[in-house]
Amino acid sequence: MPKTFLIDTTRCTACRGCQLACKEWHDLPANETKQTGSHQNPPDLNPNNLKIVRFREHLDKDGVVVWNFFPDQCRHCLEPPCKGQADTSVEGAMIQDEKTGAVLATEKTAQLSEEDAQSVIEACPYNIPRLDKKTKRLTKCDMCFDRVSAGMQPICVKTCPTGTMAFGEREDMLNMARNRLETVLKEFPKAFLADYKDVNVIYLLAEEKEHYYEYAAS
Amino acid sequence: MTNHWIDIKNSDAVLIMGSNAAEHHPIAFKWITRAKENGAVLMHVDPKFSRTSARCDFHVPLRSGTDVPFLGGMVNYILENGLYFKEYVLSYTNAAFVVGKGYAFKDGLFSGFDSKKRAYDKSKWAFETGPDGVPVIDLTLKNERCVLNLLKKHYSRYTLKNVSDVTGVSRDNLLKVYKAFCATGAPDKAGTMLYALGWTQHTVGAQNIRLSSIVQLLLGNIGVAGGGINALRGEPNVQGSTDHALLYNNLPGYHATPQAQWQTLADYHKANTPVTKVKNSPNWWGNRPKYMVSLLKGWFGDAATPENDFCYGLLPKLEPGQDYSYMYVMDKMYDKKIRGGFIMGVNPMNSFPNTNKMRKALDNLDWLVCSEIHTSETTENWHRPGVDPKKIKTEVFLLPSAHRIEKDGTISNSGRWLQWFDQGVKPGGEARNFADVVVPLINMLRDMYKAEGGTLPEPLLKLHWPDKYDAEEWTRRINGFFWADGKAGDKTYKRGQLVPAFGFLKDDGSTSSLNWIYTGSYTEEEGNKSKRRDAGQTPMQANIGLFPNWSWCWPVNRRILYNRASVDMNGKPWNPEKAVIAWENGKWTGDVPDGPWAPMSEEKGTLPFIMNRDGHAQLYGPGLNDGPFPEHYEPAETPLASHPFSKQLSSPVYKFHTSDMDKMARAADPKYPIVLTTYNLTEHWCGGGETRNVPNLLEAEPQLYVEMSRELAEEKGIKNGDGVVIESIRGRVEAIAMVTVRIRPFKVMGKTVHLVGMPFCFGWTTPKCGDSTNRLTIGAYDPNTTIQESKACLVNVFKAGKLTELG
Amino acid sequence: MKSTRRSFLKGVGAGVFCLTLGQLGFDLGEAKAYAGSLKIEGAKEVISVCPFCSVCCQVIAYVRDGKLVSTEGDPDFPVNEGALCAKGAALYSMYTNDHRLKKPMYRAPNSDKWVEKDWDWTLKQIARRVKDARDKDMILKNGKGQTVNRLESIFWMGTSHASNEECAVIHQALRGLGVVHMDHQARV
Repeated sequence: MPKTFLIDTTRCTACRGCQLACKEWHDLPANETKQTGSHQNPPDLNPNNLKIVRFREHLDKDGVVVWNFFPDQCRHCLEPPCKGQADTSVEGAMIQDEKTGAVLATEKTAQLSEEDAQSVIEACPYNIPRLDKKTKRLTKCDMCFDRVSAGMQPICVKTCPTGTMAFGEREDMLNMARNRLETVLKEFPKAFLADYKDVNVIYLLAEEKEHYYEYAAS
Repeated sequence: MTNHWIDIKNSDAVLIMGSNAAEHHPIAFKWITRAKENGAVLMHVDPKFSRTSARCDFHVPLRSGTDVPFLGGMVNYILENGLYFKEYVLSYTNAAFVVGKGYAFKDGLFSGFDSKKRAYDKSKWAFETGPDGVPVIDLTLKNERCVLNLLKKHYSRYTLKNVSDVTGVSRDNLLKVYKAFCATGAPDKAGTMLYALGWTQHTVGAQNIRLSSIVQLLLGNIGVAGGGINALRGEPNVQGSTDHALLYNNLPGYHATPQAQWQTLADYHKANTPVTKVKNSPNWWGNRPKYMVSLLKGWFGDAATPENDFCYGLLPKLEPGQDYSYMYVMDKMYDKKIRGGFIMGVNPMNSFPNTNKMRKALDNLDWLVCSEIHTSETTENWHRPGVDPKKIKTEVFLLPSAHRIEKDGTISNSGRWLQWFDQGVKPGGEARNFADVVVPLINMLRDMYKAEGGTLPEPLLKLHWPDKYDAEEWTRRINGFFWADGKAGDKTYKRGQLVPAFGFLKDDGSTSSLNWIYTGSYTEEEGNKSKRRDAGQTPMQANIGLFPNWSWCWPVNRRILYNRASVDMNGKPWNPEKAVIAWENGKWTGDVPDGPWAPMSEEKGTLPFIMNRDGHAQLYGPGLNDGPFPEHYEPAETPLASHPFSKQLSSPVYKFHTSDMDKMARAADPKYPIVLTTYNLTEHWCGGGETRNVPNLLEAEPQLYVEMSRELAEEKGIKNGDGVVIESIRGRVEAIAMVTVRIRPFKVMGKTVHLVGMPFCFGWTTPKCGDSTNRLTIGAYDPNTTIQESKACLVNVFKAGKLTELG
Repeated sequence: MKSTRRSFLKGVGAGVFCLTLGQLGFDLGEAKAYAGSLKIEGAKEVISVCPFCSVCCQVIAYVRDGKLVSTEGDPDFPVNEGALCAKGAALYSMYTNDHRLKKPMYRAPNSDKWVEKDWDWTLKQIARRVKDARDKDMILKNGKGQTVNRLESIFWMGTSHASNEECAVIHQALRGLGVVHMDHQARV
């Protein structure tokens, strides 16, 4: 039974503890960014940001402001299409750990041709992997595989203040997700668990994915 | 905070107002979220919709600078609908006290106003006393000058219409908050108010907080679990640095700084030690001489003797009524009346209001000493944009400062918990902590005075001062020692041993303490309690998350202040489900009670508000400089020409300066029609001097922006992401437009008022990020605290041509 | 085969990728190699407190051979329970940041640059300026002839970044000097 994240966006305050903790744990350098009229910065995932919080706002039908936060990361799919795609070119470029279900982009991803790497990226239903032009490797969230292998929580989960993120055995997380959904539905009737049958990173969204991010759910 | 972080989870209604807790105290939201899970309603009343609003049940936008009408309306709602907690209000507050005939209120002014001095004669506001000096109390409330009757009358003008007109909050939204929050007037319900600089940074800042305490007292929310007035204090150790009084007007432990008219210690004690005529009032400040003498003993050691007034005469004395705060220093500096000084761990050239004046003022110094982790707008002021360094005379000494992980000691969190931190690594490079600068500096000066003589060497030479700094030695000094063999209770102590609790401090020179409220934090019996890591607690304590054995908390490890107000006259908790303390079998259980005495119904029982002279909480507070009841005044710069509460447009007593650079826009000035409010964001810290230099944080929030409504943007032809210029009468700032639904125009007194918001963390020493927002803000100050009105001033906004500040 | 996002979405339904985990060709060796060694392994844990807001989250500093290796929240502290915000999560790079000041610096009057100095020289220079000002400007008596012993020509600003112990040191020093223009962030 793999490990699973539950990310309950109805609790997220976009403090970006997860975004920063991920960079720090992985020793990732900063990008030069600009203010473009949004708090979402860097604007997208990149080799130096394996996790970012996405911000999206709108007025609901009653004219009430809704501001949604989406801590975006690899879903560690149960059957990862990125791996399926990579296997057709370089075996071992994308691997999946049996014990944890972590989907990992190994150093062999550097052996993928640019075209093949692009195919791997496009295979992802959630628009996650990014090509590091310097190292030629594909980059993405690795579930803090070093920490998890040592029995620790991923750093983003550890850092989260509000209980937005939980991590544990898939069965336990599924139960938690169902319970939490039941509660959240009372306040947000459109709430749902995004693609929970297919992924090990289950998002609880309060409304349609369009109000979060086009790839928030498949 | 009267309560503490974990206690927020016990609340039934959380009103976040004057605070953006999710962005500025993100971990507070752990406990706010738990409150919600326990069924609490979360409300955010704030000019803009922020990350806090996103997680609240509802957000209510209000025009910046109108918190008094909003809360005044709530007081009116409570009193009109009889929602106050009657037993609590009558027994524990001064509701039934009779106010003297000198008090009056007319046309926005209280009695005793002197327009030339812009000050009140506060003696006019005194309570009525009987021939024996005892305050007159009328529990029948028949006397029309009873506090509760005056309160009713005062706030009867704060009708839903008036409040809605002036705040820009719809009637529906007002009622939504009033209903939800006032439901906590039930004895078994608790509401908490979480505030921060959104309340203090106004010309009526102190009154915003006064009014919140009036609401909380009416609802019986003080002293109970899940209640309280909770200042989410900003800076890393601002609680501790306030307790230790790095402030001109206080000595450590909340004593007034000596003034010229108090020439002897006896004069000082007489003026500062209250005497109560109320029999069952503990009047804790009656103990002040013990704490003051112990402080002098801590400072001057063996040199402090009863014969020499414990060296009291050596202390500097202020002129009464003079203001020696930051802003007055800067004004004197601008007038070339200051020679030099120290700016350590603070970046005023970015975070002070009207920064253009501040930056020019600093040029007038002969010398400046800074101690910082990074260069900042303050350390680099001499070569700021547009200035020729050759024309700046100031010598600058810039000292590299150690950071938290590089030093040890204690801090006090907002909930007054004393937390020890160990040194993890040695300071980087040649960096030093602040004390390792000050201790040798004073030793050098002492040597120089010994060798050369000079003016008044005694205060320096007589200091009880170490050769070298050792943090834990000072933790012990703060707690305090016996200076003569003595007894505490039935235990004997030797000279040099630690005093076990402040109850044992004496006014005869036999004890010392650098801060009486911390006495008991470090004892012979239990050692350094700030290091305690014991999560153990009784079921009663665990029920409300008290953690009495984790670290230590001032005073005497009391986790919830005023907790005697959480029980009835017999010591029974108003809410047994969330009991803080309870009187059982002749003793108190739960938290450490506010004093050991029995509950009020017993023979030697006492009143709960032990720090107030007469033991009662003050609905009527004759101590502040701007009135015994909070009253609405517009900000110093206001988009309105009048308001419905009185003819007095702005506070009659707010402070301001009159230099050529202290300009103010006139009321309803068409050149500056937009309200600016300023704030910060999660990823940066205050003036930004530290966080802008952390590349990973700068990546997340790289440049100065201005948040504005879609309506204003359309009016001004501005698109999201455009470069814009913001102008006030004092300055001009460039920023990137963030056009958002989260800010909306206000309908105020029949007209549309736009509001824009800007963070103030960006400064020119970080390339391309923009420069100080405070070049726009105003030098107008609260008359009690001299805190500047950063939250409301007037500006205009234009689409920019070419940007020069944002690279 | 080249799959696209669209084909995955269809694929789930059509069973193209509906293989069991076991069929997907795990390589335990490769995963192990990927994990590498844990960077905090064997490091000493030191308890500190985040230097930002007044929640005062406790943090664990991981130190090896006198060097900071990593920082994260202290899971045992009842207030933050291991959590941190963006600023708290960035403590490690805050400490290792090479923009930090490392030596005392001096900027002479009308100069356009900083010059590195040693501590002893710097403190002596500062002490001299303080003493000169104090000797010259100390006000012993006010206009009414009352003893006031105050020094108005020197000021002190800061700081809530200081520990309680440092604050106590600073306050005592300033009252000894006679400084009355003292203030800090509690008022801004």
